[in-house]
Amino acid sequence: MPDPIIVLSAQGLQKSFASPAGPLEVLRSVDLVVHAGESVSIRGSSGSGKTTLLQLLGGLDVADAGEANFLLPGRGLVPAHLNLGKGVGFVFQNYQLMPELNALENVRLAAQVAGRPATGADAYALLESVGLGGRVRHLPSQLSGGECQRVAIARALINRPSVLLADEPTGNLDEATGAEVMRLLLQVVAESGTALVLVTHSREFAARTDRQWVLSNGVLSPA
Amino acid sequence: MPWFLHLALRQLFPPGKRFPAFATVSILGVGLGVAALLVVQTVMNGFGEEHRLRIRESFGDCVVVARTPIEHPQDLLKALRADAAVASATPYSEGPALARQGDFSGVAFVRGIDPTDQGHPARKYVFAGGFDELDDGRVILGFGLARALRVQVGDKIEVWSPAMAERAEKGKAPLPAVFEVCALVRTGFTEVDDRAAFIPLRRFNQLWSMGDRVHGLTLRLKEPAQAYEVAARLNVGRPTLQFVPWQEIKKNFLEAIRFEKTMLFFLMFIITLVASFSIGSTLFSAVIRRSREVGVLVALGARRLDLVALFGLQGLLIGALGTSLGFLLTWLILFFREQILGTINYLFGNGDMVANVYQFSKVPLHYDASDFFVAAFFTLLVTTIAGLVPAFWAAGRKPSEAMRDA
Ligand SMILES: Nc1ncnc2c1ncn2[C@@H]1O[C@H](COP(=O)(O)OP(=O)(O)OP(=O)(O)O)[C@@H](O)[C@H]1O
Ligand SMILES: [Mg+2]
Repeated sequence: MPDPIIVLSAQGLQKSFASPAGPLEVLRSVDLVVHAGESVSIRGSSGSGKTTLLQLLGGLDVADAGEANFLLPGRGLVPAHLNLGKGVGFVFQNYQLMPELNALENVRLAAQVAGRPATGADAYALLESVGLGGRVRHLPSQLSGGECQRVAIARALINRPSVLLADEPTGNLDEATGAEVMRLLLQVVAESGTALVLVTHSREFAARTDRQWVLSNGVLSPA
Repeated sequence: MPWFLHLALRQLFPPGKRFPAFATVSILGVGLGVAALLVVQTVMNGFGEEHRLRIRESFGDCVVVARTPIEHPQDLLKALRADAAVASATPYSEGPALARQGDFSGVAFVRGIDPTDQGHPARKYVFAGGFDELDDGRVILGFGLARALRVQVGDKIEVWSPAMAERAEKGKAPLPAVFEVCALVRTGFTEVDDRAAFIPLRRFNQLWSMGDRVHGLTLRLKEPAQAYEVAARLNVGRPTLQFVPWQEIKKNFLEAIRFEKTMLFFLMFIITLVASFSIGSTLFSAVIRRSREVGVLVALGARRLDLVALFGLQGLLIGALGTSLGFLLTWLILFFREQILGTINYLFGNGDMVANVYQFSKVPLHYDASDFFVAAFFTLLVTTIAGLVPAFWAAGRKPSEAMRDA
């Protein structure tokens, strides 16, 4: 078997924040590697730094030390913070859709912002694959929470990222809806061959990923 | 369409809302500011133009005077008429006299003119009677003066000139000259209408004992705008004469109008500035409210300049729409200006201010494209700056922090 392709890698990630009581060390030294197509989960108590870690992995913030890289097809592993919007897709706890754009436009926006030709047909196909074929003209305010999150998943996939970073994607949803969204998320990443890093509080959802990690005291370790 | 323009339009005009509060109020604010500015500028232009026209009509495009009355003006007139730039040249004499009819009297500013002058400006303003009826026994009166004397066309008035006082000093009994009113003129310029009296130049010179001397010459030019150049050229070789272009005749007055216009521009522009400040602050709070959206856009790969464009464009769009609305409002206000003024006069009982104070029968207008360009340029500039300040602030934020905002 050939070596699996690495789509995300972090070495020695350190991050601390200034706080009134002196520097708050959130991440001490985090190393991780994610391979193409696999799904991994990260659990940890509230305030343990899960969101901070995802932001470093996706390049939304820069680590104090260490580096975070992701795979950009054709260019190999590249520093995350210099390549925003290119190799990774984000799914957030509170959907973060543009309230003035309808479902289809929200999905297309991701392609347009990334500077790709934004075909409505691609966006429509993705919405259909998350079960929203009949809701493409709805504004976020006209969609339920679960539907919003499905739009967000479609948006995260439109640029065909090699890895998808999901931060508590079911955190705002009731149990049944959450389970449905989770099923869908795992299904679409499997179908598209995208790797998934899932931050969740749920052991049950975590158990459905290929590998499970726990973040505590600023270090990531296998569960 | 680039995505930031699409999103900017959507944020300004969210789907489903016919009159989004922020955009509507901001556009109205800018529109009112622009309209106030342009209405004032256009009316000021109108006053300026009207005054310039009246000055040219009253004095000609160029006046030729000297320290003493001009002797034998015929040769000079012939030479001037031969000049390519000169449309016509006519001699004139003028002076105040006492006009009387029964128990009514008034000061007449008598001007001796050539009754055959086909280009005489007073012809345009004949209100009753006929200009061509003018002869040595007849006079043309301003409408206001005729009213003060209680005369109409066909009535007779007496005119007492200063030369008659001279006769009285020499012990001779002065007799007034009697004229029949043959026409009334109404220019709408009360300074003229309340005082003007035209008689033939020959008759004037008799009454004022001028012989065949005249007070000056009136030139009408083919290109009135070039009065300065023509006057300077004609003056060469005629050192005893003074050629005064119309722009110089009431120079301080014209300068004052121009200065007033500039000052009013700055005063009125303050309205637009205030409107822009409120756009700036409202956009700022919108940008803060949208912090998380800004973070998401960065996560999606938006560059700094895209974000600057997204919010900066909203200021520009408001400026552009507000300016257009302002143009429309300007036109509407000016189109209905008489009705608006009439209503104001009716409500506040001011009487007809325009006629009484400003000596015009109507609010004059003169649309000047450059006023519109200047107003549009400065309005777009300040509204764009008002949008750019919050835009740069938003674009400078760290996405990780922006996304943590509530
Ligand atoms: N910009 C910041 N400035 C100061 N402190 C910060 C900042 N961002 C995060 N922190 C702190 O870092 C710690 C980790 O925050 P983070 O959001 O990563 O936790 P989390 O594991 O995602 O928590 P939760 O499960 O509640 O979402 C928290 O204590 C938080 O207060
Ligand atoms: Mg978190």
